[in-house]
Amino acid sequence: MGYLATKDYFEDRDFVDKWLYTIRTGELDLSWMKAATEKVKPHAENPRRGLIYRDIDLGAYGYSNLPEKVRRNRSFAPRGAELPEGLPDAQPWVSRKSELWAHNTDGYYEEAVTRQWNATTDIPWERLEGVELPEATGKALSQLMTFLTEVEMIATDTPAMWLPRLNPEFIEVRAFIAAQAMDEARHAEVFRKRALTTGHGLMKASPMNEMALKHLRDADSFSEMSVALHLVAEGNVLTLFRFSEFLSPTDVDKRIFRLVMQDEARHVGYGMQHFKWVLEHFPQKREVLHSHLDEAENISFASGAATELTESFIVLAGGGLKQENIAQGVKITTAFQLKQMHEHFERLDKCGMPERKSGDRSRLWNMFEMGKAAAAEAGIKF
Amino acid sequence: MAFYADKDYTEDQAVLDAMNAVMQGNLSLHWFDAHTEKIKGRPRDPRRGLVYQDLDIGSYGYTDIPESVRTSQSMAARGSEKWGKLPDMGYLVNRKSDVWSDNVAALYEESKARRWAPALDIPWTELDAHPLAPALEAACAQLYTFLQECAAVALDFPSRWVALINQEFIEQKSFMCAQMLDGARLLEAFRKRALYGGAGLGRANVAAEQGLKEWLWADEFPRGSLAINLALGGFLLALYRHIAAFAPTRTDRAIMGFAMQDAARHAAYGAGALRYHLAHQPEERAELNAWLDGEEHVILALLGSPELIEPLIIISGGGLEAAQVRAGCEAALKFIRLVAREYFERLEAAGLGGRVSRSRLSAIVSRVSI
Repeated sequence: MGYLATKDYFEDRDFVDKWLYTIRTGELDLSWMKAATEKVKPHAENPRRGLIYRDIDLGAYGYSNLPEKVRRNRSFAPRGAELPEGLPDAQPWVSRKSELWAHNTDGYYEEAVTRQWNATTDIPWERLEGVELPEATGKALSQLMTFLTEVEMIATDTPAMWLPRLNPEFIEVRAFIAAQAMDEARHAEVFRKRALTTGHGLMKASPMNEMALKHLRDADSFSEMSVALHLVAEGNVLTLFRFSEFLSPTDVDKRIFRLVMQDEARHVGYGMQHFKWVLEHFPQKREVLHSHLDEAENISFASGAATELTESFIVLAGGGLKQENIAQGVKITTAFQLKQMHEHFERLDKCGMPERKSGDRSRLWNMFEMGKAAAAEAGIKF
Repeated sequence: MAFYADKDYTEDQAVLDAMNAVMQGNLSLHWFDAHTEKIKGRPRDPRRGLVYQDLDIGSYGYTDIPESVRTSQSMAARGSEKWGKLPDMGYLVNRKSDVWSDNVAALYEESKARRWAPALDIPWTELDAHPLAPALEAACAQLYTFLQECAAVALDFPSRWVALINQEFIEQKSFMCAQMLDGARLLEAFRKRALYGGAGLGRANVAAEQGLKEWLWADEFPRGSLAINLALGGFLLALYRHIAAFAPTRTDRAIMGFAMQDAARHAAYGAGALRYHLAHQPEERAELNAWLDGEEHVILALLGSPELIEPLIIISGGGLEAAQVRAGCEAALKFIRLVAREYFERLEAAGLGGRVSRSRLSAIVSRVSI
C-alpha cells in the first residue's frame, strides 16, 4: 500500500452517524456555505471565443496572482477554494512558478482543446487505395515513420510523468501538459498507421536516437526537461515535419504533416515562453540550463548521425536510389540539418540566451559553423 | 542528471566518420531490408476511418502481444526490427493482463471521436439569462469544487503510470493519454462553471481527498485502475447522471452530458481491465478481495462527506425549503443505493462476484434510510 488515509471511514463513528442523520432528518450542517472564498462574476470577453481560462483570471482564482513560491496549497483542492485542516499532501515536486510557467500557457491549452483532430477520420486514408509508391520511396517513408513513432513515444511519456509532480495550483500548466500527452499519443498513432499502410510495414528501430532520446525523460527539473523536450527536441522535430511535408510523396502524407505541425508548433511555443520566463524570473537557473543544453545539443547532434534517419531522409528527398537522386537528397538533407541548427540557435537567442551562438559555449555551434562553411563550398543554400 | 547519452557524439570520431560518409552520398542502406512483416493496412469501413482495430494484424497487432513482454524495454514500435543497443526504459508494467482490456482500442478511438471544448460547447450565457437562487448557486459552487478535486485525481492517475507501462501496449497507453485530456477538460469545465455562477469556489473536501489519495497511490496498476477507473469512474458516472437529471440549468445539463460520456469510458475500461486481469490471473481474485476490504471505505468517504451530500440534497430538491430538502434527501438516498449497486454489479460482471455479502459498504448503505 502506497498511502493510507488518516482514517478508515467505516470506523469513524461520528462521520457515519452524521451522514445517516443528515439523510434521515434533512438537517443540514451547511457550514460549507460560509466558505471564506472570493465571490467573482466572470464573463466571456469575446462570446465567439467562448469562456476561456483568461476570462476567469480573477482575484484569488486567477493565475496572474500566483506567488513565485506556492506555500499555501499542496493538496488536490482547486486554486482559490477554502482549505480546511486535514487535506492530504499531493507530494508535488514543483511548487515554484518560474520553474514551469510560460506566458500564454492558458492560451496554448485552449488552442490544444479546440484543435484536437482525429487521426482516424481527419486523414483521408481511403485515398491511399491503389497508391503504389516506388520501392525506395515507400521504404524510406516507412523508415521515417518508424523513427517518428519512437520520438513520439518519449514525447508522450516525458510530459505525462512530470504532470503529477506539478503542484495542483498550476492548473493551466497541468492542463497544457495533459493536452500535450494526448497530442503526442495521436502523433504516435498517425505515424504508426501510415507506416502500416505503405505495404512495407514498420522498419528498423533507431538505437542511437533512442539512447539519445532517453535523456529527455530523465531530467533533474521540469525546466530542464522543458528546454530539452519542448525547445530543442520538438524544435528540431518541427523543422523535420516542415521538410517532411515538403517531401511528402502523397497528399495524405502532406495532410498528416500539416496537422502534426500545428500541435508541435504549440509545444515549441510553450517551450520558448517558458524558457524566457525562467531566465527572467529565476536567473540563478541560467547556468544549470546551459549545462543541460550541452547535453541536449549532444543528443540533437546524434539524431543527425543516426543512419536509419539520415539515409531514409536522403532517399525520400532525392526521390530514389540512383546517384543523381542521392546527390539531390544529400543537398536537401544538408539544408534541412543546417536549418534545424539555425532555428535552434535563433530560438535560444529570442528567448534571452544569445551567448550559445559561440564555439566557447556550444559545441553544436561549432558543428553548425563548420557545416555552413562546407555547404557554402558545395553551393548548398538553406 | 539521471541519464547521460552513452557518448559525446560531437567528439566521437567513428560517429563523425559515419556521418560524413552518408553526407558524401555513401549510404549503407542497412535499414532497407528490415526484417519486419510487410502489410498494407486499410480501413474496413471507410466511413469509420482507419481505426486501430484495422491494424490488429500479425506482429503489429495487439491480439498477439504475449502475456509477459520480456524482449522489449525500449521506445521501439511494436513490430519494428529491434537491433543494436536499445535503451532500457525501466518499465514496471510488462504483463499484458495487468493493463489490457479488450475494449481499450475502441475506447481510445471513441475518446477522439467525442472530443469537446468546454470554452465553446457549453452554453455559458444561459446562466446569465436564468440565474439561480443564492442557495442553489452556492450548492452548485460547492458541488463543482468537489468535482474539481475528483478530476485532479483522475488526471493524476494515468499520468503517474503511463511512463511505467511497456510501450508494446501502445493502444492502452494512448487511452491513458486520452484520459489525461479528459481529466484536464473536466476540471476546466467544473472550474469555469463554479466561478461563472458568481458564488466562487466552496470548501475543499478532506474526507474525499484523503480517500482519493489512498486510491491514487495504490502500489500496483491493477489495483489503482480498479480504484480510480472502475470505482471512482463508476461513482462519478452515477453522480453526473444524477446531476443531469436534477440540473437546475441547461448549462449544467450540457456539462453533465459531456462528463457522462468521458466517465463512461473510464468505467468501461476499468471493468474491462479487471475482467481481463482476473481471466488471466485468477489467483489474484483473493488478493483483490482482501485489498478491497480495506479500500471500500473511500466510497463512504466520498458519499458521506457533507461537502458532497449536502449540496447534492439541495440541488436534487431544488432549494432549502423543508419540502425541497425532504425531496432532496429522498433523491440522495436513491443515488447512494445506486452507487453501491452499480459498483457491485460492475465487480460481478468483471468476475469479482460475491462482494455484496462480504463488503462493509453494503452493510453501511443498508443502514441509510429516511
